[in-house]
Amino acid sequence: MQHLEHERLVFLALGESDADDGESTHLDTCAHCGTELTALRQVAGLGVETQGLGDLPDPPEHIWQGIAAEIRAAEAVPSLTEARRQQAAEDATTEPATTEPATIGQATTGPATTEQATTEPATTEPATIGKATIGKATIGQRPGGSAGGLSGPGVAGGPGAGGRSRARRRAGWSRWAASAVTAVAAAAIGVVGTVSVLRPDEPAPTPTPAVLASAPLAAFGSTPKSAQGDARVLQSGQLHLHVANLPRVPGYYEVWLINPTNMEMFSIGTLGGDSDALLPLPPNVDLKSYSVVDVSAEQYDNNTRHSGDSLLRGTLTG
Amino acid sequence: MTALPQQPDPPVDDLAPRFRSGDEVALREAYDRYGRAVLHLATSMLANRADAEDVTQATFVAAWLGRDTFDPAKGSLIGWLLGIGRRKVIDRMRATARETRVVETVRQLPEPAQTAPDPDRVVDRLVIADELARLPDDQRRMLELAFYDDLTHQQIATVTGVPLGTVKSHIRRGMASLKRRWEVDGAAPGARAAGFSGAR
Repeated sequence: MQHLEHERLVFLALGESDADDGESTHLDTCAHCGTELTALRQVAGLGVETQGLGDLPDPPEHIWQGIAAEIRAAEAVPSLTEARRQQAAEDATTEPATTEPATIGQATTGPATTEQATTEPATTEPATIGKATIGKATIGQRPGGSAGGLSGPGVAGGPGAGGRSRARRRAGWSRWAASAVTAVAAAAIGVVGTVSVLRPDEPAPTPTPAVLASAPLAAFGSTPKSAQGDARVLQSGQLHLHVANLPRVPGYYEVWLINPTNMEMFSIGTLGGDSDALLPLPPNVDLKSYSVVDVSAEQYDNNTRHSGDSLLRGTLTG
Repeated sequence: MTALPQQPDPPVDDLAPRFRSGDEVALREAYDRYGRAVLHLATSMLANRADAEDVTQATFVAAWLGRDTFDPAKGSLIGWLLGIGRRKVIDRMRATARETRVVETVRQLPEPAQTAPDPDRVVDRLVIADELARLPDDQRRMLELAFYDDLTHQQIATVTGVPLGTVKSHIRRGMASLKRRWEVDGAAPGARAAGFSGAR
């Protein structure tokens, strides 16, 4: 028997009719038709279950505020020391209601320790984020009322709630168009916007060190998948490492730069129990070649070579 | 046609590349578009609403910080986000289970029955819902009649006044699109061979 018509398979998948004897025989023996029917049945079953999913409620705005706060904090990690110093100075001169403590508190938790970061009140963040210029510029250009960048609609003021109404979502393509307008506006504002969103308006006396390259670190090999991290090469010639959920090891963690083409490597330091470390890089390091950041589990065995037990790895890009 | 007017060809959607390139406006847009799907995934799996909101937040933060690992060629942005969300949900469930076990060892209480749905199934559902929303109006409307109202092709033709042959063609094309999308972005085994890749 010939293959079943695709239309017929769709019919069967939707349960509109049963396969006749000839079709059943063919489906039992033809992998092509059988697989297709199985997949279509799955899709039909999922389709039935999508009822109501097109009209899910919007997430509460405080989730967005939390995202913005956490990302700002993560981006601020390299300047932590400076931020502390700056904070000390500000504490001495300004009223206690400054928004900075929340930022610094989150910065110490780093980008990936979400449990800690998210439980912190994000309420002090909007004031700081609100100063970002791109948010305001974008809000003005976007009829939908949804702000761009890390300045959420909440920052624009209470009426933001109207912008999150179902009506806006139902507006469908007009919203796509609005997004397009936003995109143009954003492109026009470009780099300035990004910088100003990430930092408060005040010219920082000591600007955030530029990140030359960065690498998300993911669990390697048999390491539990919850282990993760980030590496950033700072202009200051240091590698900022942030790790989370590293498995406990009997020895210690060591950080390596690896050349993936020939697997040559050298150690740039060790990690203590902290989730963050700043490691000096050799001034002449060739990060284009030695582009892989590796965190290994090492034993106290007087062997300075890599143990072969890599926990995290990531490739620097920048 | 009672459905809202919808252009057959959407404007070029550059959200994914803009997100990947670090445009923060794109992050907000991604949240506006897909935040509710991620939150739905989390609330479907986690009993505690605060946990679900935490996971949603953590998903977008991880996605943003790991945006370099997002490859638009391998799947959609929402599929990638749901993949991250799915892992975070599972992590949270395991952590909760650990805590529960500790508490219950102390209290000598029986383990509670595990009633949460399969996260892969929830992800697949959201992916299919997203694709359904992207289909041309005619295809979507007829599939909705078939899925939600359990109408046959013939009944759909009667209800809509569209000739049966056209109904068949719309439904067949719609189903083919859903299946294609499911194979690219779905989480369940069978949706695709490889698991999710990308940032945590």
